[in-house]
Amino acid sequence: MKFFVYRYNPDVDTAPHMQEYDVEVTRGMMLRDALMEIKRQDEAFAFRHSCGEGVCGSDAVNVNGSNLLGCTTPVSELKEPVNVRPLPGRPVIRDLVVDMSQFYQQYRAVKPYLIHKDPLPEQEILQSPEDRDKLDGLYECIMCGCCSTACPSFWWNPDKFHGPQALLQAWRFLADSRDQATEERLDALEGPYKLYRCHSIMNCVEYCPKSLNPTKAIGKIKELMLKHSI
Amino acid sequence: MSRQASGLRAWALQRISAVYLGLYLIYMLGHLSFNAPETYEAWRAYVADPGVTIGMLLFVTALLIHAWVGIRDVLIDYIHPIMARVGLLSLFAIGFIACGLWFAKVVFLASVAA
Repeated sequence: MKFFVYRYNPDVDTAPHMQEYDVEVTRGMMLRDALMEIKRQDEAFAFRHSCGEGVCGSDAVNVNGSNLLGCTTPVSELKEPVNVRPLPGRPVIRDLVVDMSQFYQQYRAVKPYLIHKDPLPEQEILQSPEDRDKLDGLYECIMCGCCSTACPSFWWNPDKFHGPQALLQAWRFLADSRDQATEERLDALEGPYKLYRCHSIMNCVEYCPKSLNPTKAIGKIKELMLKHSI
Repeated sequence: MSRQASGLRAWALQRISAVYLGLYLIYMLGHLSFNAPETYEAWRAYVADPGVTIGMLLFVTALLIHAWVGIRDVLIDYIHPIMARVGLLSLFAIGFIACGLWFAKVVFLASVAA
């Protein structure tokens, strides 16, 4: 199977280029396996990967124009030749390794942790099964970055717009019955940038390898904000 | 108030104006399909009806609000140099206000003449 892989080593190369590799496909081969085979052929090639089963979110790449996880994508599903590029819009450190600092900054900005103001109970803070169900489809995010780096609004304003990943997590804590900082969280999201750069383009929904729906979560935040303002 | 441009208010206004624009366009298409004024005088009389006048003025107001939020979004997305953005925003703001005043003049003149 023919692969064209984005190669760029800032120490040596003046410009990035696509390099061709031929990989023999084995049964059940995932894209991550193919990238490891390419690494065996060419040791200078760099890419991130870790768990190999879609849990750690390290090996998100752009393949034939779509963001996906290398470890959960069978090569048999890909159209030849396979063009493998780094996640779009992020500064390239080397080959498929990109700088995700802004992505993490946006995540940090939504305070992705429970804020509980009452004195903490002796044991755990209880939650009804119904309230717990509200977190389904939110907590599963593995922060691979497929959504935010596919979002045009995040491409144009990655320093100011939170992006789908961080906003999904913002809603995850707004929706949590144990969180007591709803007003502060909503106030922090006001203004034209952090939340409202989302124009419901829905690339995030299309590319999320966990089939989560950040657009829906963003809609819920807007709805809650409206409720709290009138 | 905060120093930043509005997020929630702009978004809500865009949605509310969209509802009015949608309903008005359906009404207008229906009216023009089944009960269109045939002569110039009939048009003037139709526009001069107070209900129609208010409906039309609301339509243009909603249209301009909707367009303003939309164009503001486009400029915030793509135009990053601050002076260029302010210049373009001002240009569109003046243009939209001029359109609104011109339309109001047209509608009121129709009412006066009828």
